[in-house]
Amino acid sequence: MCDVCGCGHDHVHENRAVVSDDSTRRVVEIKKSLLDENERIAEVNRKHFDEKGVLAVNLISSPGSGKTTLLEKTIEALKGEFKIGVLEGDIETERDAERVRAKGAYAVQLTTGGACHLEAPLVHKGFHALEKQMNGGAPDILFIENVGNLVCPSSFYLGEHVRVVLVSVPEGPDKPAKYPKAFKTSNIFIITKSDLIPYFDFDVEKVKREALSLNPNLKVFVLSAKTGEGLEEWFNYLKELVRRKKGGK
Amino acid sequence: MHETSIALSLLNSLSELAEKERAKEVTKVRVRIGKLSGIVVDSFVFAFNALKPDYPKLGRAELLVEEVPSRYRCLDCGNEFEVETIYFPECTRCRSVNLKLISGEELEVVDVEIEV
Ligand SMILES: Nc1nc2c(ncn2[C@@H]2O[C@H](COP(=O)(O)OP(=O)(O)O)[C@@H](O)[C@H]2O)c(=O)[nH]1
Ligand SMILES: [Mg+2]
Ligand SMILES: [Zn+2]
Ligand SMILES: [Zn+2]
Repeated sequence: MCDVCGCGHDHVHENRAVVSDDSTRRVVEIKKSLLDENERIAEVNRKHFDEKGVLAVNLISSPGSGKTTLLEKTIEALKGEFKIGVLEGDIETERDAERVRAKGAYAVQLTTGGACHLEAPLVHKGFHALEKQMNGGAPDILFIENVGNLVCPSSFYLGEHVRVVLVSVPEGPDKPAKYPKAFKTSNIFIITKSDLIPYFDFDVEKVKREALSLNPNLKVFVLSAKTGEGLEEWFNYLKELVRRKKGGK
Repeated sequence: MHETSIALSLLNSLSELAEKERAKEVTKVRVRIGKLSGIVVDSFVFAFNALKPDYPKLGRAELLVEEVPSRYRCLDCGNEFEVETIYFPECTRCRSVNLKLISGEELEVVDVEIEV
């Protein structure tokens, strides 16, 4: 049984060896990651998602980069075709869950208690709450809007299939250099608010190049939720990912 | 501030370990933290020490941190070198940016000393 909530998923046990032994003091060799507990539950989440055919997408950015706005547009465009679920972890904007629900998604607001990132156990609970909201069903796409922060969320795997890092044009072009880990651990990089490019010193090609030098496998999108520029490509890519998920394995 | 939640999760697993090993108390824990791990060592140690009194067998546990520098190997000239910066590093010999990270992302518990 899964000790997260008893939902029936097994977990791996740690392996360790006793290396030295004197009468009262003993050193126990551990050799495991400090993030082990989180990773273990993330793997349980991943299994949940796979069994239910859910494509899980973890969105990471600073506060205000446009995650919720992009989700609103995405839900409007894809809700006819797919069931969409959202876990809202952003503590900056308590009402994000309502915003995306109003567009036709199922949504659960996660309360991190002030934490600066989401962790796998909370996502686990949130996903079960979402399933309940859907009367036992599961979404085709699960968006997890992480807490607005470019540092901490990148250390915590949640069980997602796809990790997206977003940077908005007004935030400036130095984000890849300053937050390399977010870019190294992501699969997709989205430059948002492209309608503002004329007003800011933001060299799109240079930012792309820097991001790709950190992680050559990044798929890059440049888009504006306001004008609609670039949205179609993003939608099509998501559709393709869902198709692969359903058809693939 | 995710140092606090990592410290908490470490304390919880030490507590479990103490139970399993029937230890009177945990006296030492050694961890390795890489420069690129995203953990601020001081905050981590502070959180660990601030929270440990809440755990019956951990009140005197000493946290020993080994900080691991970031080391790269240059894929063009084979040079191996350490860097301080987390920004775009380049080879100290040929200035290539075609590098492979060898160490610096560690975030692990090495061993634990217990009193039985
Ligand atoms: N100009 C412009 N503003 C946008 C765009 N997308 C979002 N915004 C604005 O950016 C602000 C923050 O957006 P929000 O989606 O709440 O960001 P989040 O914190 O990442 O979820 C809001 O005032 C949005 O209206 C865009 O494409 N262009
Ligand atoms: Mg938001
Ligand atoms: Zn469960
Ligand atoms: Zn070199």
